[in-house]
Amino acid sequence: MPSRNNAPDARNNAPDAPNAADEVTAPDPASSPDARSTPAAASSPDALNTPAAASSPDAPSTPAAPTLPAAITLTQALARRWPPRLGGSLQLRVVAITFLLSVIAMMLVGGYLSSAVRDGLFSDRRDQILEETARGFESMQTSLDSATATTAAETQQLVWDLMRGLRISGGADRDVMLLRNPKATAGVPIIDYTSRPGRTDLITDELREDVSTESGQFWQSIQVPPRNGASGDPVPGMIVGSQLNIPIAGAYELYIVESLENEQNTLDLVQRVLLAGGVVLIGALMIIAWFSARQVVRPVQNASAIAARLAAGQLTERMTEKGAHELTQLARSFNEMAMSLQEQITQLEELSRLQRRFVSDVSHELRTPLTTIRMAAEVMYASRDSFPPALARSAELLSTQLDRFEALLADLLEISRFDAGAAELDAENADVTVLLQRVTDLMEPLAESKGTHLRIDKPQEPIRADIDVRRVERILRNLISNAIEHAEDQPIDVFLAADENAVAVVVQDHGVGMTAEEAAHVFDRFWRADPARARTTGGTGLGLSISSEDANLHGGWLHAWGRVGEGSSFRLTLPRRAGRSFEVSPLPLTPEIEKEDDGVPEITDPAAVPRLAEGWLEVGDDE
Amino acid sequence: MKGRVLVIDDDTALAEMIGIVLRAEGLEPVFCERGDRALAAFRESSPDLVLLDLMLPGKDGIEVCREIRAESGVPIVMLTAKSDTVDVVQGLESGADDYVPKPFKPKELVARVRARLRSRAEPEPERLEIGDLSIDVAGHSVVRNGEQISLTPLEFDLLVALARKPWQVFSRELLLANVWGYRHSADTRLVNVHVQRLRAKIERDPENPEIILTVRGVGYRAGSGAQ
Repeated sequence: MPSRNNAPDARNNAPDAPNAADEVTAPDPASSPDARSTPAAASSPDALNTPAAASSPDAPSTPAAPTLPAAITLTQALARRWPPRLGGSLQLRVVAITFLLSVIAMMLVGGYLSSAVRDGLFSDRRDQILEETARGFESMQTSLDSATATTAAETQQLVWDLMRGLRISGGADRDVMLLRNPKATAGVPIIDYTSRPGRTDLITDELREDVSTESGQFWQSIQVPPRNGASGDPVPGMIVGSQLNIPIAGAYELYIVESLENEQNTLDLVQRVLLAGGVVLIGALMIIAWFSARQVVRPVQNASAIAARLAAGQLTERMTEKGAHELTQLARSFNEMAMSLQEQITQLEELSRLQRRFVSDVSHELRTPLTTIRMAAEVMYASRDSFPPALARSAELLSTQLDRFEALLADLLEISRFDAGAAELDAENADVTVLLQRVTDLMEPLAESKGTHLRIDKPQEPIRADIDVRRVERILRNLISNAIEHAEDQPIDVFLAADENAVAVVVQDHGVGMTAEEAAHVFDRFWRADPARARTTGGTGLGLSISSEDANLHGGWLHAWGRVGEGSSFRLTLPRRAGRSFEVSPLPLTPEIEKEDDGVPEITDPAAVPRLAEGWLEVGDDE
Repeated sequence: MKGRVLVIDDDTALAEMIGIVLRAEGLEPVFCERGDRALAAFRESSPDLVLLDLMLPGKDGIEVCREIRAESGVPIVMLTAKSDTVDVVQGLESGADDYVPKPFKPKELVARVRARLRSRAEPEPERLEIGDLSIDVAGHSVVRNGEQISLTPLEFDLLVALARKPWQVFSRELLLANVWGYRHSADTRLVNVHVQRLRAKIERDPENPEIILTVRGVGYRAGSGAQ
């Protein structure tokens, strides 16, 4: 009966179950020594209830422990890197986060399931083995006790027969060993029995110590070599030992080794199934996340696209308001915003239209009486020879001042057209050289009358560009007449050049020049460099402002430069193809001065202009 | 040449002034102050030329222009204070031959009026073929497949100018000089609008013209008659 009594003791060894279990899961050589060393310490009587209690809380955490922190660090590392990498797509981000979290969840659940299955398998098998071995030990002892052998040789024969029988009763995987108790002194020793050579190595000193000193069953988890010999990894197994009292021979120890290979195989299968299931589930979760993110992201993308179209001026764009969720509210608020925007824009458009209408009406209302006055003045002027001198002079003054009045009115209307946004570019592909020639031919008489002349430097071949001829002609006329006005008897240089993107005209006088501050104001309306200086050519004070607007309308630049005593320079740069942009003007703003003056570096890049010495200025908002 | 000019303008001072200038030129002005009476005045006076203000009480100048054009090819010159493209183009499209932007000088007005009256001078007997159109210059008629096509004198002159030299590409400026009689550069939109109007009458498909072809960047020329 000792083995029966020993049953609780056998369970006392259960605290080492987690460790043993560990072995089953991962045949880690590092933990094997622990497993082998623990059972010796585990023999306290009150440990009866512990196995179940001890194994379940420990078991799940033990295998998961090495993987979980790794997963957390991975998550943190990814979380740190991901927002910038996947910042572009919310949907992708949601899927990525779902992937991470579901991997973690799968690890936890899978780890728990795997260890629970493992523990269950192990404890069932362990109980079964212990029961079988107990029965084996008992029947062995009974057989020996009732034996009639009288000599050592007979005993030897009997024991060996019994051992063989014990081995066969346990199936192919069972090994049995009979060793003499090292502490035995009495009796005639018989030869130890081992069912398979080398198996005695599996018995640890601790187990041997326990078995040799105390009665009852003792067991320990071990690694056993695989069935097919030396090759292959060791498989988990169990060794159970008990004292055996052999008549004549004395105290012996009987050990039974059982393999847990089948259980290991079952566990492997379960783990594989869990892993496969986990992978499939994670895949499914990612797809689900993709679709649910799409549900949210799609309306947002839709809203963004509609907002872009609204911004582009399609004011009637609206989102569809269906359903009763948050996105519908978004759509509703969005549509309200769009509605209010549309109203305001329509209102502004209406105002702008009214202003244009007003300008147009004023133009008509002013022009009709002006026409009558004009005609009357002309009729009087035509017959001024027959008038007395004072009246004749009055008719002359009336006529010339009416010209000025008309020019002013025309310029004002032009400016108000720009202000109202009503100015339209009427571009055609024209030869700029011909246009420049026409303007200079027209302006030459005026230049002559002011004691100056125009020096024109332009290429022979035609330079075609998409320009509004009327506006460009007006710009050139304004620039040249402005130069004539300030030329101070010095010749005026006019340069024309083009590259593949842009065409440029520089008009440069060598007269009084102007300061940087003056150059900054030269395109202001009604601005005069010197208010005290009389306007001799009868400009309206709006010419350069209109020129600047005309240049902008082309997508071009109008630049001014001046230096006191050296003269001033104006450069018009226009794109050769309508709507195409350009980077560099084909002409420097001050070609002539640059050659003579050492102080001014060569300027080819207009972008560099603002950083240069005083006197430089850019006008035109396109840079 | 005694020319009768119908001045349709609500501004009596301007109308009177125009009258003074026209009389000094030996022309005979007739006046009408309201848009809704313009057509009656036109029928009554049967003028050689109409000077038409665009802003009129009673009826819009554009509408008046369309009505007169519907029953006569008499030259119509608009007096416009609006030189904005839309207004000018709209006026020309409704049938006006030319326009004088306010404020104008007497000489400008007289030049335009003379130019329009001059183009009615007697032409030489001449027949022209262009595409499937046959043009009787003296008889002032254009026929396609025996069917008469009604053109205003200006449209007719434009067609004849192009048809006489089918090998030549006419710039807009050249057409202005030849057809309108302007030596100085005038508004080339005149040419554009009249070509559109002419195409609408003589082309089978005005979107794909075969008789008056556009030469990009240069001007227009007569089609080679290819069908």
